[in-house]
Amino acid sequence: MPVQAIKSVATSRNGVGAFILQCRRLDFHYCDWAGSSRGMNKLLTSSLLPQQVTTKYPATEFRISSRPNKHPILKAYYINGNTKAICVRNLEPAQIIQKAELLLQNSGIKNKKIRGKNVVSQNESVRGIWSPLHGGLKNV
Amino acid sequence: MKAVRLLRWSGSVLSPRTRPEFFPIRQSIHLIQCRTQATAAATIDHIEEASDLSPSQPAYIPEDVLTRLPSPPIEASRTSAKLAALHARLSLPSRLPIETLARTLVDQTADHNPKFNNSSFSVLGNDLLAYYTSEYIICQYPRLPLAVVFAAMYAYCGPKALATITREWGVQPAAAPGGEVDPGFLQFMRLPPEPQPERLGPELVSTQSAMVASPNNPNIVEKRRRSISNRTVYDDEFGEPKSSGIEQSIDLSQGVTMEKASANFVRAVIGAVYLHAGRAASKQFYKDHFMSRQLNMASLFQFRTPTKDLSKLCAREGFQPPIARILSETGRLSRHPVFVVGVFSGKEKLGEGAGSSLDEARTRAAVAALKSWYLYSPLDWKLPSDTEEANAKQWVPQMVDQGDVVV
Repeated sequence: MPVQAIKSVATSRNGVGAFILQCRRLDFHYCDWAGSSRGMNKLLTSSLLPQQVTTKYPATEFRISSRPNKHPILKAYYINGNTKAICVRNLEPAQIIQKAELLLQNSGIKNKKIRGKNVVSQNESVRGIWSPLHGGLKNV
Repeated sequence: MKAVRLLRWSGSVLSPRTRPEFFPIRQSIHLIQCRTQATAAATIDHIEEASDLSPSQPAYIPEDVLTRLPSPPIEASRTSAKLAALHARLSLPSRLPIETLARTLVDQTADHNPKFNNSSFSVLGNDLLAYYTSEYIICQYPRLPLAVVFAAMYAYCGPKALATITREWGVQPAAAPGGEVDPGFLQFMRLPPEPQPERLGPELVSTQSAMVASPNNPNIVEKRRRSISNRTVYDDEFGEPKSSGIEQSIDLSQGVTMEKASANFVRAVIGAVYLHAGRAASKQFYKDHFMSRQLNMASLFQFRTPTKDLSKLCAREGFQPPIARILSETGRLSRHPVFVVGVFSGKEKLGEGAGSSLDEARTRAAVAALKSWYLYSPLDWKLPSDTEEANAKQWVPQMVDQGDVVV
């Protein structure tokens, strides 16, 4: 047998063909009694939520549930299995929407410092790798 | 190619979905109606029928009825946020109704009734996936050896790849199937994952003889030598033996692994897109979700005797026999020498490789030469399925090489 073949799996490149929003579910938790939920309750009862959040992100499942005697939070579930939560106590509706968008547009990966690391590519270098054995050889 | 009339065809595949055995005749008629719905590519009649029904439907189905159903009722899919989100996340065409998407998530081990599970969709989707992938691979790399074609097929649309795609689409499995489950979950009877044999090297496209179902009678199992060329005839698209009919019936009663169920789901989605939105939409869906994936073809090769292969290849193609020559070297007498060797056929350099011994460098050079031959890709290539469109250009036959050398 001349050539054998190695089984592997092609890796995804999100956004090259289809783009899949990584936030699959976002929970709004509120409390009916506590004052820290005032902004959250105002948001949930107003038309701001469908206008500015839910219709803009149809790829995410939204859930609203009460969490009595606790601060209001936003909790996002991502495709990679991670969850991220933000406490939105004492925030105004506009600020809560900002926080919701932060979670919705997030990739779900743990935050990392970038700090000028090298760019890593899956493609081969177009220019090739410099070799000390090719060209410019000097005879001593 | 004559266009198939999709609506008519899909109508016969997706016949009206009723489940009379669950609703005795004495029970109220509206319950029967609410389990009756045609998800065949929604003709206007059906839409009107459904909208007529909706006011008379009950607000909810009682729990005892729900728990007796093997898979969620059709009405549940219209109110499921999970399902709507999945539809939007995959940017599925709007002509694909949400009820059908719910059906693609029901495996045949969850619901044995073929009108309610995804088996018919997945058969169609599997054929489409194999067709699109194979034409893409063969047109882009017309000289690939057959074993590598099988490996590339496996990498793009093998069960493992499809299970990964299911995960990346954000589809989650239900703990157990049932009528009360949210239809946005993947529903199947679960088996533990298959044990993976311990291997030292990478997993290869197998070449050994195996117990294979006889091509004439699937119930007879015989030992057959599986050469690479006879697998194009007898085996499936990944060069694996086709599973016999007996095996499948046992699987159905016990359950399936997560991998198999998710592979069937992805295939079913493709099949459903094809039936409801047509050829162009399914091809676009395929391009977006499958062809956009990254696969390094050069990493699929594994050579045993590259220098021998290369000399055979040169003999077959009528080139002068390959000769390895040192191009440059450093530190021959040191602890870490580097040799750069080129393989030449006459004056043409076929390949080049560097290694810490002359033999290693020569082998690498031969591998590079073989890969550059096998991985030839024409600059201007076209897929046969592109000519199916209405205003497509005339098909120009393309070169497909005779394949790898036989050593």
